[in-house]
Amino acid sequence: MLIQLKGGRIIDPAHNRDAVGDLFIENGRIVDNADVRKPDEVHDVSGKIVMAGAVDVHSHIAGTNVTLGRQLMPELPLLAAEGGQPILPSPAAWGSYATGVRYAEMGYTTVIEPAMIPTHAIEAQAELAAIPIIDVAGLVILGNDDYTLNLLRKGDVKSDELKDYVSWTLAHSKAIGLKVINAGGSEAFKFNARTFDLDEEVPDYGVTSRGIVEAMQGAVEDLGVPHPPHVHCNNLGIAGNVETAVATLEATQGRPIHFAHIQFYGYGNEGDKGFSSGAATLMEAVNKHKNATVDVGQVMFGQTVTISGDILRQFDGRRAASPKKWGLNQGEGNGTGVVPYNYKPKSFVNALQWAIGLEIFLLAEDPWRVLFSTDHPNGALFVRYPEIFHLLMDKDERARWLDGLPEASRQVSNLAGISRELTLSELAIITRAAPAKLMGLADRGHLGVGAVADVAVYTERKNKTKMFSAADLVFKSGNLVVRKGNVVRVTWGRCYHVDPGFDRQIEKRVAAFYDRYYDADPSWFGVSNAIHRPDRFATIPCSS
Amino acid sequence: MPRLRVSGHLGICARGKFREEDELDSTLERAAALLARARLPVIGGLFTDIDGASAALALAEKLGGVVDHAAGEGLACAARVMRETGATPASFGEVRNRADTIVIIGKNPLQRDPDLLSKLFPGKPGLPRPGKNNREAVLLGAGKATAPKGVPLTSINGKTSVPELVALLAAATREGLFEMRDKAQRKKLDAAGKRLRESAFAVFVYDPAELEEPVMHTVLEMVRHLVKTTRAATMSLAAPGNGDGVNLCATWTCALPVRTSFARKVPENNMWAYDTDRLLASDEADALVWIDALDGETAGRPKGAFRGIPAVIVSSKPVRGAGRDDVVIEVGAAGADHDAALFLPPIAGIGVVKATRANKNKPTVAEVLTRISKLIGKTRAA
Repeated sequence: MLIQLKGGRIIDPAHNRDAVGDLFIENGRIVDNADVRKPDEVHDVSGKIVMAGAVDVHSHIAGTNVTLGRQLMPELPLLAAEGGQPILPSPAAWGSYATGVRYAEMGYTTVIEPAMIPTHAIEAQAELAAIPIIDVAGLVILGNDDYTLNLLRKGDVKSDELKDYVSWTLAHSKAIGLKVINAGGSEAFKFNARTFDLDEEVPDYGVTSRGIVEAMQGAVEDLGVPHPPHVHCNNLGIAGNVETAVATLEATQGRPIHFAHIQFYGYGNEGDKGFSSGAATLMEAVNKHKNATVDVGQVMFGQTVTISGDILRQFDGRRAASPKKWGLNQGEGNGTGVVPYNYKPKSFVNALQWAIGLEIFLLAEDPWRVLFSTDHPNGALFVRYPEIFHLLMDKDERARWLDGLPEASRQVSNLAGISRELTLSELAIITRAAPAKLMGLADRGHLGVGAVADVAVYTERKNKTKMFSAADLVFKSGNLVVRKGNVVRVTWGRCYHVDPGFDRQIEKRVAAFYDRYYDADPSWFGVSNAIHRPDRFATIPCSS
Repeated sequence: MPRLRVSGHLGICARGKFREEDELDSTLERAAALLARARLPVIGGLFTDIDGASAALALAEKLGGVVDHAAGEGLACAARVMRETGATPASFGEVRNRADTIVIIGKNPLQRDPDLLSKLFPGKPGLPRPGKNNREAVLLGAGKATAPKGVPLTSINGKTSVPELVALLAAATREGLFEMRDKAQRKKLDAAGKRLRESAFAVFVYDPAELEEPVMHTVLEMVRHLVKTTRAATMSLAAPGNGDGVNLCATWTCALPVRTSFARKVPENNMWAYDTDRLLASDEADALVWIDALDGETAGRPKGAFRGIPAVIVSSKPVRGAGRDDVVIEVGAAGADHDAALFLPPIAGIGVVKATRANKNKPTVAEVLTRISKLIGKTRAA
């Protein structure tokens, strides 16, 4: 069936397109209709904005960590709704089903879960499979696991065995890429460390955080995985940590890398309170290091729960828990910390965090390298995205918010002096084109011929919160799934992953390791096609 | 289109042999008719795999019913402690490799797994671990046990109850003042408290089904006191019948554990109100779906089942005592007749157990419940 979206303003920065025109969909793909066939279905979208479906590069939507958060905070949606956040007051509002529905209503069609635990990949994939409509992919965590550290202890960071192990882990968990969280820091926590810096050594193993990241960069690059290592740096959330972030950027030596939620690393230590915006310093380094991409991790005010494999940081963060409860799961590799948190506009620190995130977006010279995220739910629940788009696209809206914040926070932020407003094309880059490109998902994030027909149509409004809260139409793989901001059809998406290949010898080595130390068999936690819906998984190519 | 529907699609099911166009089976039609008439059905037992749990949740939501598990009491207690104050669990692998002091609390851990000590103290070098202490075990109200070779073991029992022993150990750990007539036990408690303070990684092992909630809180506070200066954690025994797996599935589906009702617009969890036994005894529930389909384990039936209340029994074992009008559906045993995703304690998470005999003639729990769900949908649409 040929579907025509007629007369909309098509914003497709991947093809430098911002013009009124028609878009055609057939068999789940964008087609050109060069032979001018009569469409079977026409949607008049004149006066509307037409974009590719949005792609979220970093959102914690599934897996052990997220469900630990749900176990701790079933009341999260109730507290959030009570505080005015746009979420229904039911525990189920942050269950798997509601996650897919709400993402689709906003025009999102692909979301990346950034923290799958290798031994718990089956749970992560089962949870992802319970999310309707959207396509998904997961990043698998390595870098604090004893198998990796044992290899690096030997000092050969370019070992083939590490490359095979990384590749085996990616394939075994059906992941699209590799995540490294506070490299070595979680392992050090197991030896009772409470801080861990870039050049500190992991107890017993001797390797540094810098060494782990470097080794992972090398392995991922050699394997030709499209997405570079997705790195959560050391010293998250600490005043003065912008120095760590810049040093980590310098350490990449020009090789591809992605830094996650960098707002949490944009902190200086100036001013009376020893806490200030480091956004300008950070963005100067990001703008300079063209090998690096980042996502921002914007903070918004209100109740949330922080969920992270940075167990060292989460342990420290327990003191600020609100409500006063917290969970720490000490497992293989990173483990997990869950700590509820309420970002308050009257808080000097929280207000500054909010401002720093926006500064980072607005100081980016190249939007293709500075991607949108709130690190859901850590900076803000994903349901807040439209409000953030509004803040980025409307300086008057920013000023209105800024006026309500503490004077002390405004004094150590540069946000008031920034007049930039993101254009629709720039928004389409940071929420569509760039995330898809970064993940190696070549068939989405744009509206070129052959792309998967993930399309979102919005009514242009000055109030961008309203505009992006409810898409007029959303097509997922060519199926109309949302109309007037409501899901009208529930479909089930696919999961994308890589499979770079490895020497089968690694399977025996890993099996022997798990048998010896854990009395376990790695086949128990391997994700299999057999127990999932047919066609659930799709492999994206690697360049090696 | 509902925005908060909790499920409605199997996450990891559909093995291919079951198709919608299959001829309707009269047994499933009778089951659907029985359940469609129910005002408040309870789906209990839930000795099933993740697929089965997912389908049970979808069915409960469609019926406006309740989901519970045969081991729901301990699961519910642990869940309530978690949401009231949090948790500090450690995985089996971390405890086995890195804990220098392991405190076994209560009788259940060693009764349920007589090999537990040898699993936790495997007698061979583990991964690098913190501190220089030798590894030790403390049994607190756990009865007697043989120490693994080379492992010092202190047994603290006497006539003191487990809750009291936990409280006394907490006091000893903080060097607090307390009195105890049994001097021998007192001495052991003081030594255990000192050992815990000096541990590099202390872990408390217990069964949530055995300890009452205040006792779990005391253990958790002990951990939180210790972690101010060192490392500590808890390790709870997994519930029988894939209880932890079912509970996780319920949580990712609707953010609530078992003993949840879908009778109202918003799902509601209540460990007392939605206990299968209570719902049946009080006649609040007017239909029961009883699921018992795991290889090697049998769900303890609720009191009075299946007498007087219409039941759909989905079981991999021979069923005795079913009423004349009850519907009995034979299914494959998860982990024997078909591959199954189950909670596996050694990885402290969900893993896959391969079928041992692969009997494809028997349907799975997920297939049966999904089919009943669809039949109910058709009945209602008509």
